[in-house]
Amino acid sequence: MRLLHNYQYVAAMLLFCIGLYTIIVRRNIIKKLIGLNIMETAVFFFYISLGYLDGGIAPIRVGGADPSRMVNPIPQALILTGIVVAVSVTALALALVILLYRQYGTLDVDRLFRDEEKEPESGTERGGTA
Amino acid sequence: MKSVVSLLFIAALLGLLLYVVAYMPPMGDPENPTNSSDVTTRYLEKAEEETHTVNAITGIILNYRGYDTMGEVSVIFCALAAVLAVLGREKRGKIYAYADRSRVPSSVIVRTMVAFLVPFIILFSIYTILHGELSPGGGFQGGAIIGASMIIFTTIFGLYESSERIPQKLRFPLEGSAFITFFVVGVLGLVGGGNFLTYAWPNIATDLQPAVVLWLTILVEIGIGVGGAMVLISILFSMIREEEEIAVAP
Amino acid sequence: MGAYRHFPIFMITLPILGAVLLPFLGYLRQKWVPWAAALPLTASTVLGILLIGKIPSDGYLSYHMGNWEPPWGIEVRVDYMGLFLMLIVCGITLLAMVFSRRYIAKEVSGGRLTAYYVLFLLMSGAMLGFVATGDIFNLFVFMEILALSSYALVAITGNRNAVRAAFKYLLMGAPSSIMVLLAIGFLYSATGSLNMADLAGRISESGYTEVLIVSYILFVIGFGVKAALFPLHMWLPDAHSIAPSPISALLSGLLVEVSAFAIIRITLSVFTSGADNLIGGTLDAVGIFAAAAVLYGGIMAIMQKDLKMMIAYSTVSHIGYIFLGITALTAEGLTGAMYHMLDHGLAKACLFLCAGSFIYVKGYRRIDDLKGAWRQMPWTCFAFALASLSVIGIPPTAGFISKWYLILGNIEAGNYLYVVILLAGSILAAVYCFRIIYCMFFQTGKEGAWEDSAHDASISMLSPVWVLSAGTLFFGVFSYLLIPSLLKAAQYLL
Repeated sequence: MRLLHNYQYVAAMLLFCIGLYTIIVRRNIIKKLIGLNIMETAVFFFYISLGYLDGGIAPIRVGGADPSRMVNPIPQALILTGIVVAVSVTALALALVILLYRQYGTLDVDRLFRDEEKEPESGTERGGTA
Repeated sequence: MKSVVSLLFIAALLGLLLYVVAYMPPMGDPENPTNSSDVTTRYLEKAEEETHTVNAITGIILNYRGYDTMGEVSVIFCALAAVLAVLGREKRGKIYAYADRSRVPSSVIVRTMVAFLVPFIILFSIYTILHGELSPGGGFQGGAIIGASMIIFTTIFGLYESSERIPQKLRFPLEGSAFITFFVVGVLGLVGGGNFLTYAWPNIATDLQPAVVLWLTILVEIGIGVGGAMVLISILFSMIREEEEIAVAP
Repeated sequence: MGAYRHFPIFMITLPILGAVLLPFLGYLRQKWVPWAAALPLTASTVLGILLIGKIPSDGYLSYHMGNWEPPWGIEVRVDYMGLFLMLIVCGITLLAMVFSRRYIAKEVSGGRLTAYYVLFLLMSGAMLGFVATGDIFNLFVFMEILALSSYALVAITGNRNAVRAAFKYLLMGAPSSIMVLLAIGFLYSATGSLNMADLAGRISESGYTEVLIVSYILFVIGFGVKAALFPLHMWLPDAHSIAPSPISALLSGLLVEVSAFAIIRITLSVFTSGADNLIGGTLDAVGIFAAAAVLYGGIMAIMQKDLKMMIAYSTVSHIGYIFLGITALTAEGLTGAMYHMLDHGLAKACLFLCAGSFIYVKGYRRIDDLKGAWRQMPWTCFAFALASLSVIGIPPTAGFISKWYLILGNIEAGNYLYVVILLAGSILAAVYCFRIIYCMFFQTGKEGAWEDSAHDASISMLSPVWVLSAGTLFFGVFSYLLIPSLLKAAQYLL
């Protein structure tokens, strides 16, 4: 069946779901960010497997390499950009985590959002206490 | 409770995704829509003569789809701006004179090896940047390697030592260099008679074109490499200063 | 085709270039930063205005980056709807930036001030690039610039609540971006191309229908989170109410709409309205959620005590309107949706900037505190009232025109239930808007609350508010200037 032939895609989808599950369920925000990274890696893995050609060689034209046997270079080019994007999001997320830890003293998402029901009080945008 | 609902949702999503995978074109098949598409075949066959890079992937990201790479460079700059907006830059000067050793306890072996290896890692990254068109590599990859080497160095030796070597007055002008390089090359493309970001200028003689394309590509690669490296190092320094400030006990 | 075909790419890259160069200016002369930051946006606006009339309503401007034809290169494609939205983006971001000058100086300082303008310019440039692209992966890249800058701008004040709201936004926004990337992957695997026009052809002849259906679903979910479509809207109330007011104006007035426009692009230009077997089921589901959004947003808005929270929930409701226009798949519905982007952008930005004025001058956020506000800040209150009329949809404001076309479109598509819901939404909007108007004008505040010598907001803050507010009226009365071309453009897309 095709599902067995496309086993790399299956693995990528499994990883994707594991990552998404981690983001939703885990309470520690660092673990959530790791889940995000797992999701991103899964998608990159999926893309690169897309470009595979049976018995293919790298798309670098040296030593008389034959273009018709080369692996598809497009997904790899897309993923280079995708990795940079993922790194950027992770960097910003970690910066926010640093601030959150400094301000709330906890990395547990339930405790962080526990007093969210209170509306911001009057004052500047800072809502009272800065 | 929340766990159970999430598990069901994820199971449903997984089922959906596996359903799709079962109907996807078979992996590795040369008759795939992706492998047999004329876009792919043209890239593979013509990349060397049109972009003058042996590595087709570099040809794609710098030349054919250079606009995407310009966007990617903007993303990384945006990440820097975002991290600096949230955390602020590290302070310079005397405050770190006390924290001249990192809080990470490390043995002589580790310190010696790191000090020995870091120059070679940086050399390797320069190689990666410049060899982007000949072998797997490229601008951002090299920049990331420099960033990684600085992470090791900063972790073992402390922020003070690192920021002595790559001080803020070096990093600050170079952070935007990636995008500025792209913009300059883009406008040069306009001057050369094509659209924005054209490498093969129609206005000049055909036998000069390969040289122009090659040099522009190398220029862009170096720009991305340096810019990416500086951005990553700045992000690193701005995040790590937290620990260092705590380490400074008056 | 003359020099102006280069204009779109400069409209996109000039703000980003400005963002990259701004830190240098911030290092030399911090005082000039707000003024210098307005320069690239003004340039983009001017270029956009110069482009009006060059793009016929059933045509487009196609620009091949790097002289490579699509699908080998990336195409920058500006059609009539695209230019319309780009001009809306340019105008509203410029006005929000003018407002920011005084406002932000009170909230952030020093290096963060420069960072604010840098991120602002990046966000504007990214929005323009997002609307103008003809390549689907490029869409993803610009979406990420947009998302990153918006996460940071929500958190920029450094306030505890702001950082928390920004993190929640990130935690919902980042997985949605990854889903879009996965959707692009599925789409690519079934067709082999990344250019939108090329994809339209390949999709209709591709045999991999299951893959395409799921790809479309993932696109809708991914962009739906960014567009805050119910039930994926959970990040919006906190993020929009806690962000600095000019940023809330941009987020609510532009970002969610631009994400909805992405769904329009994908539905009409990539999958094309003829591919009913692929998109039909999903679009029906989207319609149901959009209708629920209209009602949910309205009801929650009525229950809020904080002004900005109320305005944020109103955004949830209005995004429902836009999606109801999309799912109707008729020219009138689509025109209604696009015109609603115009009037919602103007009106919502105006409302948020008014809220910002209240906070700047007096520090009041709660609706109760606004009782009797008109005595001290009459200009702001009147602008707020005028913009609210557009939100409700009372003639002759622009809001009425857009709702008219939304209703027409849904009647034509036979969705009579949605027509009823659209009208119900207007009634709910009337409730929450009149409550504030009543509060501001007809109730008296606490003793001495509005008596102190501080007068209404300064000119630099009032003028954007009034331009936006007058805009809602202007585009209502003079809608005949734009509607026929929009109708033709909608026909062309369908």
